[in-house]
This record gives sequence, C-alpha cells and structure tokens, in this order.
Amino acid sequence: MRWFLFLLALSLPALAQEGPPPDLPPEVFQIARTLRCPVCQGESAAESNSGVAVEMRRIIAEMLKEGKTKEEIQAFFVDRYGEWILYEPPRRGTTLWVWLLPLLGLLLLGLGLFAYFRPKPLPKELLEEAERRLKEPPR
Amino acid sequence: MRGWLWLLLVLTLGGLFWWGMQRNPKELPSVLAKERRPAPDFTLPLLPPYREAWGETFRLADHLGKKPIVLNFWASWCYPACYEEAPVLEASWRRHKEEVLFVGVNTQDKEPEALRFVSQFGLTFPQVYDPRGRVGVDYGMYGVPETFFVDREGRVVARHAGALDEATLERYLAEVLP
Repeated sequence: MRWFLFLLALSLPALAQEGPPPDLPPEVFQIARTLRCPVCQGESAAESNSGVAVEMRRIIAEMLKEGKTKEEIQAFFVDRYGEWILYEPPRRGTTLWVWLLPLLGLLLLGLGLFAYFRPKPLPKELLEEAERRLKEPPR
Repeated sequence: MRGWLWLLLVLTLGGLFWWGMQRNPKELPSVLAKERRPAPDFTLPLLPPYREAWGETFRLADHLGKKPIVLNFWASWCYPACYEEAPVLEASWRRHKEEVLFVGVNTQDKEPEALRFVSQFGLTFPQVYDPRGRVGVDYGMYGVPETFFVDREGRVVARHAGALDEATLERYLAEVLP
C-alpha cells in the first residue's frame, strides 16, 4: 500500500502535465508531439512556446478541422521542412539504420558476454591429473 | 585474425565519430532551395508606409517571373541579427533596385514595433506584415532572420539563415542575377 502511494505521488506531476491547454483539442498536441520545433530543436512543436511552434499548432488545428488525417498533416510539414521535422526518423532508407543499429549493438554485446562467461572446459592435463588422483588409493 | 577484427571495429567507429564531428550541427536543410522549387505564393497586407507605392496588399505571384526576388524574413524582436542586416539590405536594394526586387516579411511581430524598426533603418523596399508567421512555415523557415533568393523563373535557388553581411549578400545576388 505504502509503495502504491509512493508511486502514485511520483506519477502525479506527470499526469498533471498530460492535460492539454484548453484552447486547442488534445489531438493537436498528439500530432504536434511527433513534429520537431524548428527554432528550438530539442523540443517538439507541442512543448515549445516559440512563435513557429504556436503557429504549427494552429495549422494542425485548422487542418484537423478540415478533416485531414495525422499522416496528411505530417506530410504537409515534411514537404516544407524535409524529414528532419519528424521526431522519429522514418523506418526506411538510410534512417532505418538508426532503428536497427541499437538492436544490432545489443545483439553483439549479448554474444560477447555469452562468449566471455561461457563455462570453459578445463585443460586436458588438468583433467588427466584429476582422473589419476581419483584413481589413487587414499593415503 | 581476432586482433584484426578488433582493429577494424575500432577504426570503423573512430571514422564514424570523426565524420560526425566534421558535420555542422547548425546546418539546416532547405527543401525549397535544394530542389529549386517554385517560391510559394502569398498575399499579405503591406505595412502602412508602403501602401501608397505598392497598394493595400502584396501578392508575390504578381512579381514572380519578372525580376529575381530577395525575400527577407525579419522581426523587431530579433536582436541583434535583424538589426545588423537591415542597413546592409537597404544599401543593396538602393544599388540593385532596377534588377532585383527586395521584399521584407515582418514575422510574428507587433505592428507598432515593426513600424519603429522600418523607420529606424529607413527601409524603402516593400514590407509585408505576417503576425501569425504562416508564410514562414510555407517556406520551411526556422527562425528570423532568414533570406530566400528567388531567380527570374520564380524558383528558390538559395536560403541564408542568420544575418547577412555585404559580401555574402552580393554572392547570393550574383547567383540570381543574369
């Protein structure tokens, strides 16, 4: 119970952040979160308060009202800024490697660790010596 | 054999690291300039001091395909970059106004402050007013100041992010001028 309360207390601030500002529907922020803010490149268009990001959210809201889908809206921004604007690089072409390399690295690390810690057979002379000693009558 | 494999791995990673360090993180791609796309059209109101000469609104399509166009995005809050390049742009416009059209796009700004800026530098080339910054998104603009160079056929040939100095501006102009 105590643990549950502790975790709840930890997660409360995160929950509070989830709520979108009242002026735009939550779908707008959902899409804006997948787009990079052009001026403040570490932030998404959902978090940033820069002029461009605010305008991007307004454009997303307008396009949603026109009945455009998430993919169409993302394509609109990719057309103007290039694939750079997408927070997640597309899973094809050159940027596919961004997704594959970490997995490949983990696999290699796993193989390396396995090879390092694998129980190695004892050297032959040692085994023979052990065998011999076992057969010796106890003194 | 194993030793060689390790050496190869280290060299590959080292090479990748070196290549990554050579890249300029501030280099921003411009889809328009890279693909030489036609300049996106817009119709925006002109700032009051320019209405007498250019009319109430400015439509870019009316001017495309006649002369090369220099499209400069700026804002009065963009200090010091916009303040550094404004006199350079004005001087260049006065020199080249017969061959090139300069257009200033005031972006995400308040009108009184924009007016103070244009009078401070005595800007005589047409200035349009885009408080929302919608045109900037169509041009794939990152942040002010940014300048786009449109050739005689109406295609974007170059984009410069940041303040322009005289030599750089002349170099871009040579690209769009015949």
